[in-house]
Amino acid sequence: MNAVAPEIPIQSQPVSALRPSVVVWPWPIALGLLTIFGLLSALLGQHGVWLALSWAALSIPFIVTVICLIRAWRRPSSKGGLS
Amino acid sequence: MTNRALRRWFVVHKWTSLVCTLFLLIVCVTGLPLLFSEQIWDTFVGDDDPPYEVLPTGTPNASLDVIVDKARALYPGQIITSVNPDDDEPAVLVSMAPSWQALKDDENYPDRHSGHWIKFDARTAKVLEQSRPADAPKEPRTWTGIIMGICNRLHTSLFAYLPGRLFLGAMGGVFVASLISGTVLYGRFMKRLPFGSVRTDRASRLTWLDLHNLLGVATLVWATVVGFTGLVNELQTPLFGLWRVTDVRQILKPYANLPVPAQDHLSSVQAAFDTAAKAAPGNEVTGLSFPGASFGSPVHYVLWTRGATPLRARLFTPVLVDARTGELTGAYPMPWYLRFLEISRPLHFGDYGGMPLKILWALLDIVVIGVLVSGLVLWAGKRKIATDARLRALGYDLDNVDDAAVPGLTAETVR
Repeated sequence: MNAVAPEIPIQSQPVSALRPSVVVWPWPIALGLLTIFGLLSALLGQHGVWLALSWAALSIPFIVTVICLIRAWRRPSSKGGLS
Repeated sequence: MTNRALRRWFVVHKWTSLVCTLFLLIVCVTGLPLLFSEQIWDTFVGDDDPPYEVLPTGTPNASLDVIVDKARALYPGQIITSVNPDDDEPAVLVSMAPSWQALKDDENYPDRHSGHWIKFDARTAKVLEQSRPADAPKEPRTWTGIIMGICNRLHTSLFAYLPGRLFLGAMGGVFVASLISGTVLYGRFMKRLPFGSVRTDRASRLTWLDLHNLLGVATLVWATVVGFTGLVNELQTPLFGLWRVTDVRQILKPYANLPVPAQDHLSSVQAAFDTAAKAAPGNEVTGLSFPGASFGSPVHYVLWTRGATPLRARLFTPVLVDARTGELTGAYPMPWYLRFLEISRPLHFGDYGGMPLKILWALLDIVVIGVLVSGLVLWAGKRKIATDARLRALGYDLDNVDDAAVPGLTAETVR
């Protein structure tokens, strides 16, 4: 429910031309692949190192989220993003 | 992407999300205690079973025939319905009933439970425990039991049995659609923002939007997997039903009209277990139902075997052994859709990787609750803006309007 639909026409050429376009997908794809790896490594490996790898891989999306939140509220003036 | 296409995706995301958000909130919240149900039971209720006798390791198990004979001697005239060795304790559970007909009649009387069980030590064949007699006063329900029961039924069926399950399954499908449309919108809205941006220095709407985007994209794959496998789990009743009316019916056709033989003339139960183990190599035998059970054949032992490797541990293969002769009739691997269902279960429950995986499951679940709540806040905020705009268009000066007048207006005029 990204309720910003009405703002789309406004956000047309003049504004976007000023801001650099950043690449959207590397982070989501990396987090997604880590999630898939984490889900499968515990299921297929089931013991020892595969379990530990699964825990590590699945915790990264959560840790990244927490880091982003902390950065956003520590430095309210910045955008708080990872780049 | 054209603005028109974007608007369509937006509408899809808004409506799919609105349809499923309330139910997803219920499912996410009730899922948390279910995730740790084992620990909760151990902590608050505990296990008052007597401890097992300490025997030298490697003590062989007693023959199941000895255990079956003992059970029969305890309740002469009754029938045995199933024999189930315990997964991780040296115990064998024998279920009995006065007759198959009595069990069938139970379905019409919710208070009647004619079936009962006896727990034997698998090594010594001694009786460890028995189910409470049907006429004994009911054990008082514990708070843990009540709360966990409510969570479980809300989570799986909203207290509405099969229709509730199918409805929640449909909500799972809508949820996946909402995730897909949300991903498309994410790509569009994050074009000018570095990953993970949360703008806290501007309108609070933007903060909520950024939060929704961040939390949503971080849990996207996990939520898709758990949502989709939840949908598959809710389909288990129709999927098993399909299997029963197709393959199972075909296999049992030649035997369907035979009478159920008396139990004292049946072949050895232990031998049936051994035969089944040989018929399904690589599988372990987890239980046996006697001929006459409602889902089985009148003349066969049905033995349930499952994969011994972790990945295949939930893939069940039934084996039929003719109870009159003790001969193997066949092993029947389940069709692909039930195998898919069985693989889906661990991925939904998160119970296959120890405690750390369960904790991660809970943390990601809480993040998804954050996505749902931020989505609701965005939608509610948008509605307020839209309502205010419409009120102004109708000529109301919102800054001066008496507070009491507004709710009435929003309810009647605007909607």
